[in-house]
Amino acid sequence: MPGRIVVTGLGVISPIGIGVSEFWKAALDGRSGVSTIAGFDPFPMDGYRSKVAGQIHGFAPERYLDSVQAERVDRYAQFALVAAKEALADSGLQLGKENPRRIGVIVGAGMGGMVMGEREITQLYKAQRPHRVHPNFIPVITLNSASGIVAMAHGAKGPNYTISTACSSSAHALGQAMQCIREGRADVVITVGADASITPLVFAGFCSLRALSTRYNDQPERASRPFDRLRDGFVMGEGAGALVLESAAHAKKRKARIYAEVAGYAATSEAYHMVIPREDGEEIAVTMRLAMADAGIAASHIDYINAHATSTSIGDAVEAKAIRQVFRSRADHIAVNATKSLVGHTLGAAGAIGGIATVLAIHTGQVHPTANYEDPDPACALQGIKATVQERKVKAALLNAFGFGSNNAAVVIKRYAA
Amino acid sequence: MNDITQKIVAALGEYLKRDPATIEPGHHLRDDLGLDSMAVIELLYKIEETFDLQIPDQDLVGLSTVSAVSTYVEQRLAPAKQPARIAVKRKKKA
Repeated sequence: MPGRIVVTGLGVISPIGIGVSEFWKAALDGRSGVSTIAGFDPFPMDGYRSKVAGQIHGFAPERYLDSVQAERVDRYAQFALVAAKEALADSGLQLGKENPRRIGVIVGAGMGGMVMGEREITQLYKAQRPHRVHPNFIPVITLNSASGIVAMAHGAKGPNYTISTACSSSAHALGQAMQCIREGRADVVITVGADASITPLVFAGFCSLRALSTRYNDQPERASRPFDRLRDGFVMGEGAGALVLESAAHAKKRKARIYAEVAGYAATSEAYHMVIPREDGEEIAVTMRLAMADAGIAASHIDYINAHATSTSIGDAVEAKAIRQVFRSRADHIAVNATKSLVGHTLGAAGAIGGIATVLAIHTGQVHPTANYEDPDPACALQGIKATVQERKVKAALLNAFGFGSNNAAVVIKRYAA
Repeated sequence: MNDITQKIVAALGEYLKRDPATIEPGHHLRDDLGLDSMAVIELLYKIEETFDLQIPDQDLVGLSTVSAVSTYVEQRLAPAKQPARIAVKRKKKA
């Protein structure tokens, strides 16, 4: 049996930095990567109620990727490639010396290839010339393009699939990667979360859902404010996060640097509503408890929660309620933060990017600030939420992720003690 | 029931698949008609289409009853107020 599963490599591309070093420095500074959307060429922004997002400006894929790879896939998959490349380099794995059948790739993506997707759909309906649909449209739009291209880039022939559960996609990818190694189906899994769908139609769709912040259009860096009394909706983000998971035995054999251990995971459905969480928080509480049970730890062991916390009025309050239900008198002694306060809601990438922030908190003893936490909402005030860095010896943490479609995930990440 | 309210009630009846005659202006969208927040958004989307207007997010808060929606739409559709006409007495020509 493979025993424990550890994290040996990290890679990230986000609105607050490309590369883990830049990302983490900005995260500890509590910097918001949200800015005004310049426009959706050819759409002006006039007709959009929200005008801000966490975009990655000036991303030039050819700087990071082989041009053939870069051209064959959409923006989200390019992000996945960049993050995976960094994570693998960070892990020190010599792929040429590994059995490729024992290296898997599991990706979480919510929206997928929407940049090219929207363009081709629009052109077809406008021009009605089906033979002018680009031959690459199908490979680009298929939701497993990122897991495919990452495997191709690194010769990984092990288990390979994409999980799509909206905002919880890459938390599930992380959990499933852990299970894959636990079950002996791989020694290494590159798990990635990626999304890049700040596009005319998708952005309009979230505006029509009345889910996005509209109150801070003239102060974009203040728009994403989880748990704050004046939050008014989430802010779309884009990016990718990648983690290299290995069996502890495999990592120790090659003397890898181990960041943390992925110890438990739970996947549930509220079976309630496509977009609204159950207001009593009970379902989220169950998911957290199941993840801790899977990790074999008690609630009293958790000292940090990387919250899902999107900055919506209902969602943040429900999550805080659930945390109080599970942790009771300890709830105010647990460090809690919201990575989405910095990068916005990166949809399919959120679990992975939150997971990286969790791993780094364990590794460095620093929990990044929750940006814009200025006026705590009594409905969700937990003493452990801070607008400043928390120095904390984190032994065990929970990563929460809840998706549209009534879908919940929680992952337990622990400090690795040999 | 004025024309605007009738149209709103008709839209509600269609959405809820119930007889519009059973829907009253005083009905609370959530508590009486059972609309959850997503359903309210969908209804207001239909209202926007019917009356050709856009409802900003910050205006959603007060729209909790049928009559509140009706009053809001009326106010949005009302023509801009003209300045009051000042009566001028004309001297009779001798």
